[in-house]
Amino acid sequence: MSRLNPQSGERIDRTKTISFTFDGKKVEAYEGDTIGSALYAAGRRTFGRSFKYHRRRGLMCVAGQCPNCICAVDGVGGGGVRACIEPVREGITVTHVNAAPSLEFDAMRATDIAGGPFTPPGFYYKTFIRPRRLWPLYEKILRNAAGLGKLRRSQPEREWRTEYRRRHADVLVTGGGVAGLAAALAAARLGADVVLADEGAEPGGQQLIESERQGLAALVADVRDAGVEIIDKGSALGYFDGLVAVWQRDTLHQVRAGRHVFATGVIEQPLVFAGNDLPGVMLAGGARRLVSLYAVSPGRRAVVATTSDRGLHAAQALRAAGVQIVAVADLRPETGALAQQLRSEGIPVFSGHTVIEARGSKAVEEAIIQPVVGGSEHAFECDLVVVSGGTIPASSLLLQAGARSAYDAGRGHFAVSELPANVFAAGEVAGADTDLAAAASGELAGLRAAHALGLGDDTSAAREAELASSLAEPAAPDLAVAPPVSGSGRGKCFACLCEDVTAKDVHLSIEEGYDSIELAKRYTTVTMGPCQGRMCQLPSVRLMAQETGQGLEQVGVTTARPPWVSVPMGILGGRPVEPAKRSSIHERHRALKATIKWAGDWRRAYDYGDPEGEALNVNRAAGLIDVSTLGKLIVRGADAGEFLDRLYPNRFSNLKPGRIRYGVISSDAGRIVDDGTICRIDEDSFYVTTTSSGAGAMEEWFSWWLADWGDRVNLTDVTQGVGAVNLAGPRAREIMAAVTDLDCSNEAFAYLDGKQAQIAGVQCLILRIGFVGEVGYEIHFPAAYGQHIWDALMEAGAPLGLRPFGLEPQRILRLQKLHILVGQDTDSESTPFGAAMPWIVKLDKEQDFIGKWALEHYSQHGAGVALVGFTMPNGDVPTEGAVVLDAQGTPAGQVTSSRHSPVLDRTIGMAWVPEAFAEDGAQITISDEGRTLTAEIQTKPFYDPEGEVLRS
Amino acid sequence: MSLDFLRVDAGEAVAHSPMEAPARVAGARFEVRDGWNVAVEFGLGGTGSGAQVSWADVSHLAKVELQGSADAIGELPFGTAVRRDEAWWCRLTQTRALVIGRRPELADADDLNVVDVTCNFAALTLVGPLARETFARFCALDLRPQVTPVAALRPGSIGRQPGLVIREDEDRYLFLFGWATGEYMWSVVADAAGHLGGGPIGVDALREVAAAHA
Amino acid sequence: MSFLLECPNCGVREVTDFGFGGEVSARPKSRPSFRELNTYNYFRRNVAGVQREWWFHRSGCRAWFIAERDTTTNDVKFTALPGSGDPGGEAAKAAPEAGGDLL
Repeated sequence: MSRLNPQSGERIDRTKTISFTFDGKKVEAYEGDTIGSALYAAGRRTFGRSFKYHRRRGLMCVAGQCPNCICAVDGVGGGGVRACIEPVREGITVTHVNAAPSLEFDAMRATDIAGGPFTPPGFYYKTFIRPRRLWPLYEKILRNAAGLGKLRRSQPEREWRTEYRRRHADVLVTGGGVAGLAAALAAARLGADVVLADEGAEPGGQQLIESERQGLAALVADVRDAGVEIIDKGSALGYFDGLVAVWQRDTLHQVRAGRHVFATGVIEQPLVFAGNDLPGVMLAGGARRLVSLYAVSPGRRAVVATTSDRGLHAAQALRAAGVQIVAVADLRPETGALAQQLRSEGIPVFSGHTVIEARGSKAVEEAIIQPVVGGSEHAFECDLVVVSGGTIPASSLLLQAGARSAYDAGRGHFAVSELPANVFAAGEVAGADTDLAAAASGELAGLRAAHALGLGDDTSAAREAELASSLAEPAAPDLAVAPPVSGSGRGKCFACLCEDVTAKDVHLSIEEGYDSIELAKRYTTVTMGPCQGRMCQLPSVRLMAQETGQGLEQVGVTTARPPWVSVPMGILGGRPVEPAKRSSIHERHRALKATIKWAGDWRRAYDYGDPEGEALNVNRAAGLIDVSTLGKLIVRGADAGEFLDRLYPNRFSNLKPGRIRYGVISSDAGRIVDDGTICRIDEDSFYVTTTSSGAGAMEEWFSWWLADWGDRVNLTDVTQGVGAVNLAGPRAREIMAAVTDLDCSNEAFAYLDGKQAQIAGVQCLILRIGFVGEVGYEIHFPAAYGQHIWDALMEAGAPLGLRPFGLEPQRILRLQKLHILVGQDTDSESTPFGAAMPWIVKLDKEQDFIGKWALEHYSQHGAGVALVGFTMPNGDVPTEGAVVLDAQGTPAGQVTSSRHSPVLDRTIGMAWVPEAFAEDGAQITISDEGRTLTAEIQTKPFYDPEGEVLRS
Repeated sequence: MSLDFLRVDAGEAVAHSPMEAPARVAGARFEVRDGWNVAVEFGLGGTGSGAQVSWADVSHLAKVELQGSADAIGELPFGTAVRRDEAWWCRLTQTRALVIGRRPELADADDLNVVDVTCNFAALTLVGPLARETFARFCALDLRPQVTPVAALRPGSIGRQPGLVIREDEDRYLFLFGWATGEYMWSVVADAAGHLGGGPIGVDALREVAAAHA
Repeated sequence: MSFLLECPNCGVREVTDFGFGGEVSARPKSRPSFRELNTYNYFRRNVAGVQREWWFHRSGCRAWFIAERDTTTNDVKFTALPGSGDPGGEAAKAAPEAGGDLL
């Protein structure tokens, strides 16, 4: 155990012990530990194996930033779980990823040792392309080698509850360090509704690594008292036009705020040198977090390499915790005040030096430092190399919000240079390096956000001005810019730990011509791993600049895209609910054990177990189908008739009240969009039905033209409010007689008449239409009476052989009549002329109508193809979508519908064929999944071709 | 002919809500009231046994759409529902308004169409201190009190479906959605409210809650 | 894409509340040539900048309205009901007549 004496501010509770297992071995921890801190305390140094070379990797950032400690908890893991920040819980099972058979002995390590020719960038593109026949084998091997962790196989194992939560706020502060807390407090005190999202286990940010936390607890208390909602352990995933998605445990908070403050801090950078990935090479911040939060000593003897005071502060803190600092390599040529102090305390500080190599077999055993301008190297025996290679602003979210960045030569990184409106930056991400400056810049951002919302007063305005002037001229940063790479030639120098990309790989990719940052990124996959560029973007840009001789400004950076942290897909998916529409009769279909399937956004009775039998029963006796899904629009007003005349190619203004007419909607391109029947209710009112799938689109189409034309027409969509059933068959009339007083004789209630009458005591609209080809009554009623009407009809019809029929038998029945289904038999190229409905286009109509000009054109220029019926002599039923061939064997059309007709006992279908074939008796060739079939054209309906049954 | 076939009249036939099936599964006891089969109570009854959020099916509320000139519709503000004659009067557009709760004494006129749309919209009342948090699970509308005061009217997407919310009281929201989406919406609300410890209540309990507020 | 739009009737809503009706283009007032007709039917200006377009408040009041939006930033300049005398900016003037400049 390398647990230290109690540290002030440590997060662990030494009175509560917790145990869990890692790779089957029991590990003791304290409450407040992370998996990483507990394992480190127990002496573990290797936490995972690297992606490509399977090299040992140990804790480095201790902040969930780098990829080194990715693991799986209770079988769930991969990129999403970082041991260093994942809290321990009693009894969890933690396992390593990406090493087999074990973490200590990993067979794939051979890729690193054999190395060289097998593993340059793009090696799989180069290696696994031939011989081609071996690809299935390669694929199997690559699939096993790729990825971190394993997906659970079964669905229940993979499911857990996640949910969305929408939060509206005046101000969202992202980042809960000193700056973010100050910003939240300032804005909330002026009356803003503020949310603060912080990814840490507790707010405080960088302050938490200090042993003295000046007033942090009081600040956090003030923030809570001011009414700020703190989303702790909440990682901001991305900025989407003013909405920030914050992932907290099982909830995705979608925070929509009027103003945004980003106080996201900076990310400490590693140094690129030989062996810089060895366990024991740790960032200064990481080493300090181990000490101050978890009271874990990161090592016994340390070499520190730094580019600024960060490393020197770390040296002091580690020494205070009992770590022997054997050498500090400070890249800055001048020895500063802090370095002097360290020397006076007996710590050897080497100014102008940097680390060039870390050596060791399983972990660091020795570090070598050297002056950057040349000179002799010094080797130090050690078990810890603390590095601090500068920082980069964590500006991804700001950039997504529209901020711009520019290379800041003084800081050696890309700094935020320009902010969009309503977005503010505070703290280190905005260049406020000290705690004092961070607090001031946070308060300033909070005030600005509140003022932008119209809050505040003269006092707060004065305070804003005061803070702005105090921050106007920040002190020049005291740091040296790290070299792109040190000690190359001594071993692998990693620029990217996630994807195992070395400095040499970047060099190679440029040699091969991938000489822009975007190309090199895609070729080498640098910045594309789980760290999302946190650790590797700046190093790779520096290497690119060095290799190409450009400035960093010219090289530029790759685009920052969401998500900013690795997130499980389930979090993004939210609750697994699919909006479903159901008819008011749905319970009856369920009780009848109907096959229920999706039809558009409806759940529909597809059949009741016997589609052909159900269809046959309609032809022989009577059937009842639920057609509540039909689109239904009420078009009312003085201009209603004229409005429909302008929307449809045929005429409705001359339709008599109580009569029905079929209509096809065409676009201005003359293409069929939808169809349905229209019944005139009275002088000013029409009842329009549309296809089920087109209901929504037709309402929008109608109201769009209405908005443009401004007719005196009111439109009401009653699709969901009105239920409908179609009662059809030779016995339908008798059944009607049992449920209504209405005279349903053919004389009194003829084909295409619409009547209003009571059915089983409910006022209904009854349309006599014949989609399925038999005498039929389409009954429309308030949806709340669906079950009542259904029950009444089924009861009355039972003695007469009435059976329910579903969607599939309806498709058979309508096909027998060659009634088209828009979208099934037509597509975006179909015109009424091609679809054999020239009669529906009234080009002699006096007024303009949608599609008129195009239809005039097609009336003269033929469509080239025609929609016709066909039969198959040998009983084959071709697949819908099978290809129709012309005389030369070239594809010239397709089968759109095909079924076996039970009443005719033969194959019937519809197909688009070349116009020359569109005549009765013509033979066409159909190519259907390798089979060649012959079909005979029939242009008239297969069943009741003259419509005598329908009109009887 | 007329549009009478749209009207739900309290005749002999019994009208059913589209959420009857899930309500039955959840233990509802039904009574026929004014021609509607209404879920009057669940399980032990009472006001949802002190749950922080409860919901009640109120799809039986009459709904009427008024369409016509702004004059014919009369003075109605945008964004606020006006309580008049035991109904919420809601302006949707310049030329359309929705009356929820009771059928108004209005007849078709030259410049006004009155259409019964009772069955166009199913309706739920969500009540309790966590009602707003429940909405936040399936609705992007900003229902914070400073933005959505009592009587505010908010047409917008609810559970990924077209809808409309009226904040009837401090912790009480009435919302409407398509009739055919009833079962779906029940499942969405039950999932969200259930996770926050809530459950369904009958219309009688809802009345008690209202009385407690008054 | 997650920007906000202000429905002239209902107020500010998420863009997902709305249906997009495409850029505003005028239907020919009289019989176009075949070429003009096809331009009107099939060609769009596809502006990178401020575009005048139709939107439909599908999840709310179900009304169509006009918006002017910068297609490169999703910054919505204004929304208005058709015919309500909207402040029609440069994009309104540029709206093509019968395909106009696309021919």
